Amino acid sequence: MEEKPKKERIGVYICHCGGNISDYVDVAQIRDIVRSEDGVVVSKNVMFACADSNQKEMIKDIEEGKLDAIVVASCSPKLHLHTFRNVALRGGINPYNYTQVNIREQCSWAHSDTPLEASEKAAGLIRAGIRKVTFSEALDNIEVSSTRAVVVIGAGVSGMRAAIDLAKMGNQVYLIEKENSVGGNVAKWKDLFITGQQGTAIVDALSMKIRELTNIKLFTNAVIDKVSGSLGNFFVNVRVNDEILNLKAGAILVSTGFDSYQPVDGEFGYGKSPAVMTLPGFRQLVDKSKGAMFVDNRRISSIAYIYCVGTRQTKGENKYCSRVCCTAAIHSSLLVHEKFRDVQTYHLYRDIRTYGKQEILYEQSSGNGDIYLKYDEKTPPIVDTTGNKVLIKIKDELTRRQEMEVEADLVVLVTGMVPRSDNKAIAELLKIPVGNDKFFNEIHPKLRPVETVINGVFLGGSCQGPKNISESVQSSLSAAVKINALTKNPTIMLEPIIARVNFNACTWCGKCAEVCEYDAIHPIGMFGKTVASVNEATCKGCGICAPICPDDAIDIAQYSNNEIEGMIDGFLESIELKEAGKTGSEGPEEEIVLMKDMPRIWRQITASLEVNSKTIPALAKELGLGPELITWHLMTMNKYSLVEADGLDDSDEYYSYKLKNHQYVQD
Amino acid sequence: MSRIDQTFAFEIKKYGAKDFSTCFNCGNCTAVCGLTDKNTSFPRLFIRQGMLGQKEEILQSKELWLCYACGECSETCPRQAGPGDYMAALRRYAIASYEPTGITKLMFKSNPAFIVMTLLFAMILGFFLFTLKPHYEVSRWLFTILPFAVIHNMGLVIFSITGLSIAWGLVTMYLKLRKNGNKEGKTAGTFIKPLLALVNEIATMNRYKTCDEEEDSFWKTKPWYTQPWFIHWSIMWGFIGLLLATVLDFMFKDPATSIWWPSRILGTIAGILMIYGATLAINYRLKKVTNAYSETRLADWTFIWFLWIAGITGFWMELSVTFGADLLINHLVFIIHTIISMELVLLFAFSKFAHAAYRPLALFLFFRENGK
Repeated sequence: MEEKPKKERIGVYICHCGGNISDYVDVAQIRDIVRSEDGVVVSKNVMFACADSNQKEMIKDIEEGKLDAIVVASCSPKLHLHTFRNVALRGGINPYNYTQVNIREQCSWAHSDTPLEASEKAAGLIRAGIRKVTFSEALDNIEVSSTRAVVVIGAGVSGMRAAIDLAKMGNQVYLIEKENSVGGNVAKWKDLFITGQQGTAIVDALSMKIRELTNIKLFTNAVIDKVSGSLGNFFVNVRVNDEILNLKAGAILVSTGFDSYQPVDGEFGYGKSPAVMTLPGFRQLVDKSKGAMFVDNRRISSIAYIYCVGTRQTKGENKYCSRVCCTAAIHSSLLVHEKFRDVQTYHLYRDIRTYGKQEILYEQSSGNGDIYLKYDEKTPPIVDTTGNKVLIKIKDELTRRQEMEVEADLVVLVTGMVPRSDNKAIAELLKIPVGNDKFFNEIHPKLRPVETVINGVFLGGSCQGPKNISESVQSSLSAAVKINALTKNPTIMLEPIIARVNFNACTWCGKCAEVCEYDAIHPIGMFGKTVASVNEATCKGCGICAPICPDDAIDIAQYSNNEIEGMIDGFLESIELKEAGKTGSEGPEEEIVLMKDMPRIWRQITASLEVNSKTIPALAKELGLGPELITWHLMTMNKYSLVEADGLDDSDEYYSYKLKNHQYVQD
Repeated sequence: MSRIDQTFAFEIKKYGAKDFSTCFNCGNCTAVCGLTDKNTSFPRLFIRQGMLGQKEEILQSKELWLCYACGECSETCPRQAGPGDYMAALRRYAIASYEPTGITKLMFKSNPAFIVMTLLFAMILGFFLFTLKPHYEVSRWLFTILPFAVIHNMGLVIFSITGLSIAWGLVTMYLKLRKNGNKEGKTAGTFIKPLLALVNEIATMNRYKTCDEEEDSFWKTKPWYTQPWFIHWSIMWGFIGLLLATVLDFMFKDPATSIWWPSRILGTIAGILMIYGATLAINYRLKKVTNAYSETRLADWTFIWFLWIAGITGFWMELSVTFGADLLINHLVFIIHTIISMELVLLFAFSKFAHAAYRPLALFLFFRENGK
């Protein structure tokens, strides 16, 4: 293996983090030990590494000491990785020549009952960090070109709405629809709740807008055939009737929608009588009837809705609640009350979930004289369709579980939303995951609800989970904006922590390409032979290709052999720590100060500030304690509103502080 | 298993509870009611039974009569379904169902019918009065149109009907309430204790005091003599005292007698109590001071105004007798007093007044069942 360049001027900063680290880990000793490591020229303890003043100091050290790498041993990189990468950048060091060592969450906090062992572990971790950064390489972010086009899969309300906004923002949009016509599920409905607008009207309006916008191309009777490429450059093959179209897009939006649950034969009498139908079917009956409803020539004068059919099944497949059905059912009963006279309505429910503004519908329906009966999942209603009218037996929880009998002309099964059966196929094409409930999976339900793990593939609408129209449109519009943020730039920046191939060593056996889940490795011809080449945009840096290469010709940036082996060696080296008392201060007197000593030092500070307001260096000088210690105590007092800032000092460097709440001074 | 009958709800709404179908069974009303314990579940369960049409369960229940209509449940109801008003409507329905003639049903459900019946009874009573003073000129004129015997007998018949109706009603109620009772056999000797408990409640209104006892309730800060329990106590005992005084006078002395006669003293004190209570009650209902007084139907107004008028005219008569003035107006007042008092007695079986018979019976049976 060729000799990799080593760093020779490394700066190590070990943080106290107040007392979070230093109360358990002997940071002073470790600092001294580390000073003698290879390549380390600066080794310091700091009270709060992330503090502005310390960041300034670090930059000063880098510039004056001509450091070529820094290590910060502090909290988890999840908090401050970017903070310190920025510090490195401002100081003139490549941000990837900085490493963060977690000696708080993974050391001092985890081993607070065994401080000596914690210190040994911390020392090992810091050594490992130093070895890593010794061999780390300067890296640049990867730029990929971006295509200002988007493929939207599914022309329902979500897809169409997102397509319109994407087009208005300047993207070329390819709208792909499997069926003959657009509009998805909403096109099947008339009166929608709250506004009373017709579903068909909404679809028509969207459809008209799409025709107006010239940069939307709509393909009906079209299915996705193959997808390859990556963020910025997706190659999407679409089959329209018998033709294949090759489209290029910067991002893909999946808005394929949902299906309605189809009850099993016999479920609540379904399929055994025309008097038992699902809610969507019932809505069609309502829409086309005038004056009165008839089923099999029988006038409908009583309806029983059975809720939670095919959803909320604790022992079944669909464990989730479908959100919208309670509202849809109650809204239907209000419609019926308006359109037809003298129809008695019964709601056989488990829970009523007319959430948000839809609660008004529930109250209205009760006021109309609808009767609500509550059943438990374990004892569902029994539907008997053999007689003239349908007889339903239900154990009513609200009447002390008495068995009541409901006589109805019509039974409406309020069915839930289920994921479409072609979700799995689309998931495979796009390599996006589906959840246990078979809806598409987002990265994080709260913080990243419209993105998938595949960069550039987004989710919108009910294909991600049950939603009503408003929520579906909100989600797809959110995805549209996120997509535009990517596609509007001619290039996209990606993190450089990806696989690299050593072309000299590679003999193209193909094993790495085989194991790559993201299809990121392909053979190319170079130097007169075939070698592996990594697609920078597609590679996720998962690392699975590295150990499998028999020639050791592929590695991951920031995780090269030297770095990893260096880290292991550094960690395992023996260390001798003297069992010192817990120390948290610096300064000539070697004052041992713990958090429980707060009151004593606070009294000293308070006494001093009573005379006049002072800056931190002034206080430190007066009390004979280190400035870091004074900073820590003063900041805590500031947090508890005992002191407050009193303006900058004359040289505009430090704030002076004065007392705020005099009540504290008691003895 | 019972078949749901939604027409019952329509029927009940005619007795006064128009909003109760918006109830969504949260149970707040039951939780806030000071009279519920772990065995009773009113008013929520009653609303449920009403919605589902469980008529028999309602007519067989004793708990219906425990309620003192404080209105706290209506105050707390998140759907403003008026459970307090609903309980009152159910009691009207029960009174109407227990008595056999159907007059009560008619009077409760239809205001015009109520007015017609009241006036009719007033007329019959008026005529009957004249048969007691046959030497008056008006009486003599009347007898030329309607024979003395007819009027007299009709009056007697009407009085008997009302007496029989209330008796029948009480028996019906007893038979129904017994069905819903303790399935374990009733032991002998469980008569005195519940009776004593009943007398205690009538005397002290202790259970009524526990109503509307929340910290922030309207009545918590008001003096005891303005609180609803005392208002009811004074009207009730005022009336009982007056009834007793009038009967004693009738039996032992000519009504026009000294004001210091013992029965007269009883009458005066009772009269003051009743007028005090009735005045405040009318005031509360006019001002709708709390939710309990928000719905006052014709039957409610009639009852309280009749009591008040009977009290005031009674005092007028006492004063006119004491100062010995034999003016025409005094005679008119006497006629009014007598008609209204008799009307109250006559309508006992067919009006809100009937609660004075049904409630004690229900309470007695309730105490007996719960081993008090």
